[in-house]
Amino acid sequence: MEKRKQLFCTLLVPVLSSCAILTACGSKGAEDGKTVIELVQYKPEAVSVFEALEEEFNATHDDIELKIESPNDAMTIMKTRFIREEYPDILGIGGDVNFSGFVDAGILADVSGYEGLSSVKQAYIDMLDNLEYVPTEGTYGVPYVANAAGILYNRDMFREHGWEIPETWDELLALCEQIKSEGIQPLYFGFKDTWTCLAPWNALAVDLADADICRQVNAGTANFSEAYREAAEKMLELVQYSQDSPMAYGYNDACTAFANGESAMYTIGSYAVPQIKSVNPEMNIDSFVMPGCDSAEDNILNSGIDLVFCVTEQCENKEAAYEVLDFLLEHENIQFYLDEQNAVPCKNETFSLAPEVDGMKTYIEEGRMADYQDHYYPAEMSVDAQIQTFLINQDVDAFLEKFDKDWLRYNRDIIRKVEKYEAGH
Amino acid sequence: MKTKVKEKVNWPITVLLIILAVITIVFPLYMTVMIAFKQPSEMTNSIAGILSFPKQWSFSNFAEAMRVTDFWRSLFNSVKITLITVVISILLHSMVGYAIGRNKAKSKFYNFSYLYIVSGMFVPFAILMMPLVKQTAEWHIANVVGVIICYVVFYMPMNVLLYSGYLTNIPVALEEAARVDGASTWKTYWSIIFPIMKPMHATVAVLTALGTWNDVMTPLVIMSGSGANTLPLAQLTFQTQFGTNYNLAFASYLLALLPILIFYIFCQKQILNGVVNGAVK
Amino acid sequence: MNKKKINNQQRTFLLMTIPVLILFFCFNTLPLIKGVIYSFTNFKGYGDFEWVGLRNYIDLFGDARVGKSYLFTFKLALASTIVVNIVSLVLALGLNSKIKFKSAMRGLYFVPNILGALVVGYIFNYFFTYILPAFSKMLGGSGNSMLASTKWAWVAIMIVCAWQSVAMNTIIYISGLQTVPEDVYEAGSIDGATGWAKFKNLTLPLILPFVTINMVLCMKNFLMVFDQIMALTKGGPAQSTESISYLIYNNGMSGGQFGFQSANAVIFFIMIVAISVGQMTFMNKKEEQL
Repeated sequence: MEKRKQLFCTLLVPVLSSCAILTACGSKGAEDGKTVIELVQYKPEAVSVFEALEEEFNATHDDIELKIESPNDAMTIMKTRFIREEYPDILGIGGDVNFSGFVDAGILADVSGYEGLSSVKQAYIDMLDNLEYVPTEGTYGVPYVANAAGILYNRDMFREHGWEIPETWDELLALCEQIKSEGIQPLYFGFKDTWTCLAPWNALAVDLADADICRQVNAGTANFSEAYREAAEKMLELVQYSQDSPMAYGYNDACTAFANGESAMYTIGSYAVPQIKSVNPEMNIDSFVMPGCDSAEDNILNSGIDLVFCVTEQCENKEAAYEVLDFLLEHENIQFYLDEQNAVPCKNETFSLAPEVDGMKTYIEEGRMADYQDHYYPAEMSVDAQIQTFLINQDVDAFLEKFDKDWLRYNRDIIRKVEKYEAGH
Repeated sequence: MKTKVKEKVNWPITVLLIILAVITIVFPLYMTVMIAFKQPSEMTNSIAGILSFPKQWSFSNFAEAMRVTDFWRSLFNSVKITLITVVISILLHSMVGYAIGRNKAKSKFYNFSYLYIVSGMFVPFAILMMPLVKQTAEWHIANVVGVIICYVVFYMPMNVLLYSGYLTNIPVALEEAARVDGASTWKTYWSIIFPIMKPMHATVAVLTALGTWNDVMTPLVIMSGSGANTLPLAQLTFQTQFGTNYNLAFASYLLALLPILIFYIFCQKQILNGVVNGAVK
Repeated sequence: MNKKKINNQQRTFLLMTIPVLILFFCFNTLPLIKGVIYSFTNFKGYGDFEWVGLRNYIDLFGDARVGKSYLFTFKLALASTIVVNIVSLVLALGLNSKIKFKSAMRGLYFVPNILGALVVGYIFNYFFTYILPAFSKMLGGSGNSMLASTKWAWVAIMIVCAWQSVAMNTIIYISGLQTVPEDVYEAGSIDGATGWAKFKNLTLPLILPFVTINMVLCMKNFLMVFDQIMALTKGGPAQSTESISYLIYNNGMSGGQFGFQSANAVIFFIMIVAISVGQMTFMNKKEEQL
């Protein structure tokens, strides 16, 4: 009994004293009069780039303190914070359906007044405007970089074996057979992370379906069962060339395996290159456009806005936020980002592109590009998981039927909104 | 129990249990330690490569993990939340348990209060989660304070049940004697009843502390993104920073497990007693 | 004089109770009510919302994904409860017999319970993805990861859940076994009861209350499983391991289904209450019989 009493007291004293101290130093704001600008960005691959940019910015600016956060599962964290009505000043998000939702909810501020916007290529601003459910007057973000998705390949391995870059669907399948027959794994997937299912899907869908298919369906003039059938069937053919049990490994595992030469190709976007290079910095990677069509001229590069900076409506000091954007849009900072992330710039200046996108350069220059299909898919529909299910069950009809049915359900509020807008105009 | 006769040790069962413990409990911990100490280059795809001893015992992974996850601040937050929750729970819940326990037999109001609070046990966190996120934000407590208040409320049903149950073992005569001496109810409670309930305090402390220390969901929804992490939450938040470096990740996991393991080694008996008391009552 | 004292006493009791009741109301009942209200809206969590009446509830019953998550959660909870109770009862019998290093072993077997479920999940995630397939390959198996298979992923989750909760239940069973007085066995051995018969006829009836405690504890914990899912599968593969809590968190917070998932949570709440009330009446009946 005595012993326990002692234990109790020895525990209690520090407890109570720490309580007193801790509550005293609870919350603290910016104490030195600096304007704090908080930027939350969603790209896990770019954590180190943003850390460097944050440091550089804070070293050169006396009046503004930039805080960049890159949380895990950033989209969920961001939305949880919106539920709390606690808004960061700047969001770094993708040009996808989340952007559409935020615009619709009035979270983002119109930045058409921002001077830096004029230096951004008009094509990307149009792409952003297209994402709005209902057309608006304003522009709600500054497109920063785009990415391109297709197939990454191990350049050294291809050279060594004398493999040719395929330009049609049949050539791609023949190449996979060829690689397999030489005892090498043609493709490696990381389908445990469901979103990676979307990479080959998007690349095929832009080749094989209309770019505005989602709008067509919302308008009631098309359905996915027809539009996506070919893409779905080809996706199944492609997955045959995966490693054993592609559902067992995540994105990180797949990047590591590709980096270690375990597979010749990897169907993912250019955004994966830094992750791959972190495992094998010496690796010689190039990419080519997914040859989904039967003739080479019909192929289209899958490219969309990978990172767009949005200022929130609640941001108290827009001038300071614009200053941060100015800094991020400086030529050398964009170049730094491109070098590290192998991205495609949205700014209308000449940059040197990474060798990893060599195979896509002509498409980029000619503008033969279309936005990712999944940028129009509502998040709660979880199309990525539906594709994963489809790849496990291998049932094209069931997949497409569910796709059509779910689409109408999850989009009914949007469809109504669009109808209302159309009726009013 | 006291006059224990020396009996023959059952060796087959002893050996069996030791083997089982090695496979199921020591092995996962061993794996964690080995991976945490290795460098990525030492990891091959074979089991031998993963489970062998590292070439050298270097703490570089741990130093890096501490830097990445801001270990000391997360630890500090975890300790802060757990300790304050436990202290408030003991003070507040025992008090309510006392007021309710002493009156619920004769008063409708207290009987109702008792049922009201205890029925809170059936409310799953899932339904409170989303409204609580909004509410804590509206009341400007979407931080450590909000998390602590939530815990104090979540553990209230169980603790009130425990305290008022324990109270039936304490004779009312003690309080009446004190009251005759002119002591107020308030004073009687703190000077007489509160100390008597010490065994129950230990139980409540252990159960509440284990629950809050390991909980992820509450801090995840209430204070994620605010920069403040608890130790388990930090593991979730910094998954992106670990990337493909499993060694770094495991070093961080090990760091997250260590504080409670060390605490357990020192207070094993109290913890086991507390857990059993709580469940059986 | 006496009356005044009683009033004083009553006032103190009220002062002790009412503030806490208010606190409890604000952080338990109030959010509960708000949750019910949100369930009638199409709120996304931010922005405007509209009243949609019972639409969420109607959708809920036609939603295959939600249905699947209920099936999964109940399957997991039921299977885990049974497995955990059998394993921990056997373990408790072992640990309660005349063995060497008794207290050290009890201490060791309890370790899994004090560790955080999320971190444990991460460690097992690695184990299931790399170590176990490598083992099975060595033994001539396919080398597939359990977590990648829609058939087996839930078993992997069950193993991790069981690993942690066996520790807890074993300790409770041990304390149950210690309440069985020695002379019961002595009387039993005179009757010639040994082994299984001894356990079934003598031990089990006496520790029956502990069995019910463990069943209730297990069931309740497993129905709310979240951390393990988060760390092991994030609901995959093919949405086969989405628990109800995980679905509510994931779609309610990031999927923009705040309103819809609130409706889901309300149904979940009603189910938990129904199950608990059912269990308690069942328990009461059992105890009356004894």
